[in-house]
Amino acid sequence: MSSWLDYTINGLIVGNVYALVAVGLALIFGVSRLINFAQGSIYLVGAYIGWVAVVQLHTPLPLTIIVVAAAAALVGLVIERFGLRPLQNSVRIAPLLATIGISFVLDQLVMLTFSPNPRALPSQLPDVRFQVGGGTIGPLDLLIAGVGLTSALLLFVFLRYSKLGWAVRAASQDRDAAMQMGVDVNRVNQAVFGIAAALGGVSGMLVGMYYNQIDTAMSLQATLKGVVAEVVGGAGNVPGAVIGSLLLGLVESYGVAVFGTSYRNLFAFLLLVVVLVLRPNGLFASARQAPPEPLTGTFIAPSRPLRIPRWALLAAAAIFALLPLLPVSFYVLQTLINAWLLGMLALSLTLVAGTIGQVSLGHAALLAIGAYTSALLSLSAAVPVGLAIIAGGLMSAALGTILISPSFRLRGHYVSIATLAIGEIVSLVILNWESVTRGPIGISGIPPLSLFGYDLVSPASIYWFSFAVMVALALLQARLLGSHLGRSFRAIRDDDIAARAYGLSLNRYKSLAFIFGGFAAGVSGGIAAHLYSYINHETFNTQQSILALTVVILGGLGNVVGAVVGSVALVGLPELFRIAAEYRILIYGIVLLLLVRFRPQGLLGTI
Amino acid sequence: MTTPEPLLALSGINTFYGQAQVHFDLSVTVGRGHIVCLLGGNASGKSTTMKIILGLVKPRSGDVTFDGASLLGLTTPQIVRRGIASVPEARRLFADMSVRENILMGAFVRNDRDAVAQDLDKMLTLFPKLGQRLSQRAGSLSGGEQQMVAMARALMSRPRMIVMDEPTMGLSPLYVDRVLELIRTINLDGVSVFMVEQNASLALEIAHEAYVLQTGRIVLSGPARALKDDPRVRDAYLGGSEAA
Repeated sequence: MSSWLDYTINGLIVGNVYALVAVGLALIFGVSRLINFAQGSIYLVGAYIGWVAVVQLHTPLPLTIIVVAAAAALVGLVIERFGLRPLQNSVRIAPLLATIGISFVLDQLVMLTFSPNPRALPSQLPDVRFQVGGGTIGPLDLLIAGVGLTSALLLFVFLRYSKLGWAVRAASQDRDAAMQMGVDVNRVNQAVFGIAAALGGVSGMLVGMYYNQIDTAMSLQATLKGVVAEVVGGAGNVPGAVIGSLLLGLVESYGVAVFGTSYRNLFAFLLLVVVLVLRPNGLFASARQAPPEPLTGTFIAPSRPLRIPRWALLAAAAIFALLPLLPVSFYVLQTLINAWLLGMLALSLTLVAGTIGQVSLGHAALLAIGAYTSALLSLSAAVPVGLAIIAGGLMSAALGTILISPSFRLRGHYVSIATLAIGEIVSLVILNWESVTRGPIGISGIPPLSLFGYDLVSPASIYWFSFAVMVALALLQARLLGSHLGRSFRAIRDDDIAARAYGLSLNRYKSLAFIFGGFAAGVSGGIAAHLYSYINHETFNTQQSILALTVVILGGLGNVVGAVVGSVALVGLPELFRIAAEYRILIYGIVLLLLVRFRPQGLLGTI
Repeated sequence: MTTPEPLLALSGINTFYGQAQVHFDLSVTVGRGHIVCLLGGNASGKSTTMKIILGLVKPRSGDVTFDGASLLGLTTPQIVRRGIASVPEARRLFADMSVRENILMGAFVRNDRDAVAQDLDKMLTLFPKLGQRLSQRAGSLSGGEQQMVAMARALMSRPRMIVMDEPTMGLSPLYVDRVLELIRTINLDGVSVFMVEQNASLALEIAHEAYVLQTGRIVLSGPARALKDDPRVRDAYLGGSEAA
């Protein structure tokens, strides 16, 4: 049985690792006001470079650390130069979306190169434990602590005494004023990305050694933990990020001690949401400080939306409705069924992220809520499937809105972080609430789709059903957006202060958007559950949230037709070109990157 | 008064923010060793003129030359290296850095450490009040003190010219006089000054020449002394009582 001292040591060591990630995030946020979602991918790359060095090249430990730091820094420089610098004059959230795309691309490249199977990363250190008080400490713990302290010291000296360090500090306080002192902000960005990536890469390697295992799922977790630590410490505050990380490490470690391992992340994300809602500037920000960014501006590129004539829409709908009567293969129908299900999610997200401007990164949680509600009602309470799906939609609308409502006061990037965290929390609650959700086993034997007592088993009937539901939701949403309500939504998106000044209640309108969006997403999840017949806590994951976001940006944010077109394009085109499944996520990432860079208004234009 | 060879010249500048035109064929010159002020009310395009000189905004047409060479196409840091320092609107200090660090940031483009240290001492004789404040956070100073830091910071690059955006804005009358006196002192040391001001009567006290900008067009220009007595300037900017 481990002692409390052991948990404390473990918490501080893990906190040290988080600090290496979070400090990089804080530096980048300081200079560019950007939350770098690719930080975890660099951490992943660092871990795998470490694996190549240790296992294949048999490098000694000091050399491994240097190699990992250098290679990761190089990746960071490339990201800055080619991924982000071209976006300097874009809307604020564009670089954030770009880092999400970059993260997808890097993760997939690592997965394709090294396979998704976990690998062991030996630490090369002797396996001894020293007795310290009531606990023990090993050489790897000391190494991690040493690397953490050394990095902190080097960083302090760099920021305090080097010319470039001064430039970094000046640029992070006032970019324009720094330029007027002769500071080349591009060089500052480069420096910051290089340092952040080197620290992140080494961190990934150390974690791999600590658990003697690396796999591609590390990436998102690392980004999330780093973001949690950074926000807790105050975005852009470097010492705050270190303290936030240690705090996070301890909270997790004690949480695990009391409740068990599967609760580790739940504590991290709850901590994040609590801090975001109560102290959005972090625990150490003084009250007089203004928020670190104006936080205005969504990802709405000004554009003139393409007006598609009504007859063309009707014709397209008719063709798709009649499709099952034509001699098309089962495969085509199945692909389109997936597109319609994604379309419902995209309708929901295009309303929330586009029309009212709350860029949600946790939208898959709404699918999960709908799916679990519908599956459990039909299985345990024998509710007819049709009704269960509607109940799933209602539950998603209610629960989703309640969960997000504390974050209504947040803006810009912080909405994205909060929704991401809430999405993770939903998935973790599903994992841990075994008495209701059956925990990690998932729910199997979910009854098939049925309507008024008739089972929908033929592909054509499932196709018609999902298509009809999607069209109905789309029509409802189009009607909604054409009304006064739609205008109010857009007013809030474009300038929430002005909207408030005109007497619009932000909370009420945001609630309405999430209720409607939650319903559409919940219905989609409900249908999916009955279609798959098996779901678990990972069926609806962050990847789907990001895919949905890519879809709505592709279609044009806020654009109802665009959401449907985007779904068909992103689900259908990879099928059409028979692209193997493992390359698809890579393609989604690339599509997202290209859109943000070259066509932020999407195919049909934002509304 | 003879006009010396121009150090800075803006000629035929047209600037747009999106569809809206900010400058219409704007031409302004600053003679070597002169203090030139650009007067104008809100939204006349004054601050944008400063931004154009510093390379923060690019004009659609026209040219900006400094010491005979065009500044267009240069980045802000490159322009600073040519010898133009700035005292931005609302001072824009690095609030979380110390006063000493702020002043030294002004010497960012220089590499002669010993001479920089000497210049820091010089600044403390020019701005004696800052001596006791050196290790304080710049953000904790009063508005007037911050203005002193901003001016010291600008001087640290040993500029040939300083551009100032509303240097007296928001200051107490005591500090306003002090700032104007300092601008004169700086100028007597050979630094040309281009300042943008709303407070015409004060600016015309110390300027050699002045331009009046109205919604993007220069409507009046000439020696400051002449403009000061010009009834049109009086009516527009000085107000009856002040001019009387």
